[in-house]
Amino acid sequence: MTSGFRTLERQRKAIAPGSTHEYPEAQKLTAPHIESFNSIWEAAGPRTPALVDVAMGLVGRQSAFDGKATGESARGTRIEFWVDGLRLDHPALSARETRSANRLVYPTECRQRGISYRGRLAGVLHYRVGDGPEQTEERAFGQLPVMVRTNRCNLQGMGPAELVRHHEEAEEMGGYFIINGNEKVMRLLIAQRRNHVLAIQRPSYGSRGPGFTPFATQIRCVRRDQTSQTITMHYLSTGSLLLRFAMRKQEYMVPLTLVLRALVGASDREMFEAIVGGDADNIFVRDRVELLLRAGKEYGVYTREQALAYLGDKFRVAMYADDAATNAELGALLLDRMVMVHLDDHRDKFNMLAHMARKLYASVSGECREDNPDAQQMQEVYLPGHLYLALIKEKVEDYLLGIRAELGKDARSGKIDLYNRRYLARLFARVPGDIGQKAQYFLATGNLVTRSGLDMQQMSGYTIVAEKLNYLRYLSHFRCIHRGAFFAELKTTGVRKLLPEGWGFLCPVHTPDGAPCGLLNHLAHKCRVTTVVEETAGVERTLARLGVAPGMPTPALRTAELLTVQLDGRIVGYCSEAVAQRVAHQLRVLKLQRQAPGAGLAMIPATLEIGLVPRSTGGQLPGLFLFTTPARFVRPVTHLATRLEDLVGSFEQVYMEIACLDEDVRPGATTHQEVLPTNMLSAVANLTPFCDFNQSPRNMYQCQMGKQTMGTPMQSFPYRTDNKLYRLQTGQTPICRPRIYDDYGVDGYPNGANAVVAVISYTGYDMEDAMILNKSAHERGFGYGTIYKTEYVDLGKFRKPGDPITLHFGLGRDMLANEAVMDRIDVDGLPFPGVRVQDGDPLYAAVDDVRGRTKLFKYKGEAGYVETVRLLSSGVDEELQVVALTFRIPRSPIMGDKFSSRHGQKGVCSQKFPAVDMPFTESGMQPDVIINPHAFPSRMTIGMFVESIAAKAGALHGVCQDATPFQFSETHTAADYFGEQLRRAGYNYHGSEPMYSGVTGQEMRADIYIGVVYYQRLRHMVGDKYQVRTTGPINPLTQQPIKGRKRGGGIRLGEMERDALIAHGAAYFLQDRLMNCSDYSLAYVCRKCGSVLAPIAIPATSHVVDLTGKRGVAFSGLSAAEARAIMATSSSTSSSSSLAAAQAAVPMGKGPLDLVCRLCDDSADGITMVALPYVFRYLATELMSMNMKVTLDVK
Amino acid sequence: MDGSRPHGMEPLPQFQGQAPAPKMRATSYDCMKCGKSNEIKIREPIRCFDCGYRILVKQRTKRMVQFEAR
Repeated sequence: MTSGFRTLERQRKAIAPGSTHEYPEAQKLTAPHIESFNSIWEAAGPRTPALVDVAMGLVGRQSAFDGKATGESARGTRIEFWVDGLRLDHPALSARETRSANRLVYPTECRQRGISYRGRLAGVLHYRVGDGPEQTEERAFGQLPVMVRTNRCNLQGMGPAELVRHHEEAEEMGGYFIINGNEKVMRLLIAQRRNHVLAIQRPSYGSRGPGFTPFATQIRCVRRDQTSQTITMHYLSTGSLLLRFAMRKQEYMVPLTLVLRALVGASDREMFEAIVGGDADNIFVRDRVELLLRAGKEYGVYTREQALAYLGDKFRVAMYADDAATNAELGALLLDRMVMVHLDDHRDKFNMLAHMARKLYASVSGECREDNPDAQQMQEVYLPGHLYLALIKEKVEDYLLGIRAELGKDARSGKIDLYNRRYLARLFARVPGDIGQKAQYFLATGNLVTRSGLDMQQMSGYTIVAEKLNYLRYLSHFRCIHRGAFFAELKTTGVRKLLPEGWGFLCPVHTPDGAPCGLLNHLAHKCRVTTVVEETAGVERTLARLGVAPGMPTPALRTAELLTVQLDGRIVGYCSEAVAQRVAHQLRVLKLQRQAPGAGLAMIPATLEIGLVPRSTGGQLPGLFLFTTPARFVRPVTHLATRLEDLVGSFEQVYMEIACLDEDVRPGATTHQEVLPTNMLSAVANLTPFCDFNQSPRNMYQCQMGKQTMGTPMQSFPYRTDNKLYRLQTGQTPICRPRIYDDYGVDGYPNGANAVVAVISYTGYDMEDAMILNKSAHERGFGYGTIYKTEYVDLGKFRKPGDPITLHFGLGRDMLANEAVMDRIDVDGLPFPGVRVQDGDPLYAAVDDVRGRTKLFKYKGEAGYVETVRLLSSGVDEELQVVALTFRIPRSPIMGDKFSSRHGQKGVCSQKFPAVDMPFTESGMQPDVIINPHAFPSRMTIGMFVESIAAKAGALHGVCQDATPFQFSETHTAADYFGEQLRRAGYNYHGSEPMYSGVTGQEMRADIYIGVVYYQRLRHMVGDKYQVRTTGPINPLTQQPIKGRKRGGGIRLGEMERDALIAHGAAYFLQDRLMNCSDYSLAYVCRKCGSVLAPIAIPATSHVVDLTGKRGVAFSGLSAAEARAIMATSSSTSSSSSLAAAQAAVPMGKGPLDLVCRLCDDSADGITMVALPYVFRYLATELMSMNMKVTLDVK
Repeated sequence: MDGSRPHGMEPLPQFQGQAPAPKMRATSYDCMKCGKSNEIKIREPIRCFDCGYRILVKQRTKRMVQFEAR
């Protein structure tokens, strides 16, 4: 029997990595990111071209006229231009780089040099002048950031061995961009389910204008290139229906009848029949449609041409239309671009709009309920790749519009010359088209700069830095999914609710508590997101074969019983409910048969979602809704009849019978069962051992703390230059591990260590969640950690760009005698690696050509060691200007550092207790950690107790314990299972042992619960937090202590703290805090007038000069002291009374001084000294500036 | 002996108190990619002579590094 730890196997693989990934499950975690990026550039199948080509096809052609009237046209010659063939190259060196054999650039270089991982983006610009031949020109669109491990990355398809050779992790997952050396991840965002009509009821809609009601239907239509356009249909109390859509961030409303007429030239009767359908008995709908048609009469539009022209006329300006286009052409363009953009055929669009109207009426009449847009059923994902493409597409569009604007400008100034190729080439080059730069800005800041709005709700917060704090933290970045910044500000909490619809798709445990709770979720670890644009012709053929009448039913066939059958938001046909049920069942069978050998005739996609909404009273609108689109949530479950894996989507799941455990199966009803009950948890939540024993909030806390643990973020430390890296030197694999540990390769990145934990109230230092660390455990390396900090030094910062280099790394002659410098800094001006540095030590040096001197730079911060000195090339053939210095700062655990078990039980180390004083068991065991029993009753983390005995038994038997949740039951309890193991090892069945006091040697009255628990060291360390001062830097204006730990400031003793001290009567302490340690100052006050500002010091004079009557014009406005000083000098030197000269002549502040009060006729009688807060003087001065006097009543 | 001061030795008498001529100064760095040692003189571009890689690392000091272990 093996222990289950796979130690040797893992070691073998670490020494000799192979060519295939050890942990394919871990690779799948970033799949939504990588696959969506891949789909931009490469075709998924013969019928589904690369999305970038689709997008370029949809960008459309722009045209302009030169304005030189010819015989044929008054506008002159026309030039038409467009872009296609956009392609992205693998990241490579620039052509100027001549000394490298390998032209490819790999991610590790970008990380270490702090540059971006980018490839060249280029396209083909086509243009045609007049009726001439089509000309093409290659255009470069800059350097576009490339996602790591995608089909444009140089690491694509590499196995562990090769990855390690390229200084990456053996199991590098990719999915991020490298921007200025930082790893940036595009967030997954929740989107409204595409191509599906949602009934919405929102009070705010009612207040949009006269006649508006809260009722609307909405559909987010997604084009073939994955950009979207949302349209909303509003129900007005007048009976009219308005279509609302946004164009260039501007909202427009169009009457529905106008659009219906423009689409297919529908007559009133056709519209009536399309909307009412077979439901002619439904008086409510019939009356409303009648009203609708009547309201449509006021536009005087009767034919298709008229309707198109009407729309074109109104939207001509808003659409930046081609001058040559007719109104009707523009109307058609509007319909193409804005209305039901997921459909190409106008008849399909018409049918879908009719369905939308029908659903709206159903929702108003109460026939169906409004849909919940916060439920996962109505949601999908904005995938990074799709958003990235949308951005690129828009920037290409902008480039074309830029050319058009430039042509227009030239046409007006007469400089235009369309037949001159050199002119055109210059023009195309003049228009800025650096798409790469714009994409880089987007990724670096997360701000979306867009003209059209891209149908997105937010303009910022799209990217996050993938912090490599530890493996779990890093992994979570790729699995987190945000609801959208808009919802974060929402006062209502409805969006944050955990809904049953999300079962298996979003993890119920893994969400932060506090502000983002419920908005920032994580995908369940088996949840996938579809990324492939599927071929749907096979599904349509199958539908027809199974009895769905294609198209709209003929009027004769229409009954109210017919259900709509929609495939990806296109009405395929209608059928009765019985047929729909049969079709749904048959489709499911065909979908599953797809996996069977010899199948594949029907071509049903594996991710086909078969959402059969049955007829109900006042429930969701019935129908058969099929989806094959990308960006949907799907998850694998077992189909019970065939035992095959079936991918289930979030829409269909609501109407399916999926059992969780065997006992949940209801014969006859249940069709599917969960593969594993743990599939509903995220990767991180899955790693909590025995989490089914814990109170649920504790599991949420563990998900948070697991991500704050000082662990092992990576194996490639020597090749990383992250700002700050935490590393646990003595990481272990837990003895108690869920099975998933081996799936995700967590053993490669240990996050803590197994500790012998006694639950005992022993020292008195472990109250309120404090814990005692055994000093010997600490000396053996328990929780020993290191921080790596990297600092980039760029000498280029000291000069303006373009100036010659005057500062070079190096030691000048002037430093050679300086032994303190020579000890630390090499002749190249850089520190010797391995040297110890403390705050204020000279760190590196540079020679300044201008001054001819050596400039020394000092180390700031915590004491540490210089780990690595990297010399980075900053440009082609440029000398050394950029250096990356990596420091290693040892952080052994000390009092005040934070630790936690894996059950949300965190605590601060309050003492390192000497081993001799620790309690010991009969076998001589001492605990590494002591925690207080009070940590348990209120928190109910039974999982920790179970882990304690399970790991104890595991340690005794030398085996790894399976800690997967949901393994035990009432009859087969964990306590018994592990208790028996303990008993077999000769220990107490319950896990408690008699213990002896280490101090007295006496046996304790009670047996102590002692076992092994995996402990994490959290990154919050006192070393980063302690803040103490009595004196220190002060604010020069108020003389009060400044704030901020970095600057040596103090912690504010605020009003509430003050109140508490007053309540306690701690007057002396209060005086000390607020006065003595703050802005204590001595001030002179005049008792007579009560002013703090009037008393001034003047140089002591032996004789008194009488100033009265002698004040000339020059002296008016001077204070008594100043005037007297001038008088004194002018009388002695008889020179002109220039103020400056006078002031210079009198040594102010030197020599004996007299104190006088300016308000009391310069008398010194009432002046006395008091202690005041310095700000009080400031307050008095400020009040004085507003003509207010502050009087102190001094006795 | 190219003028660079060997670490861990006393400075040679002829160099004491005066700077070595700037041209002579060269230090050894390891290439981050191929690991080859490169002698890079001051004001030379940062490139590995062997593979042209653009990141070089300073070699660890050959002086004895000892800290008080307390």
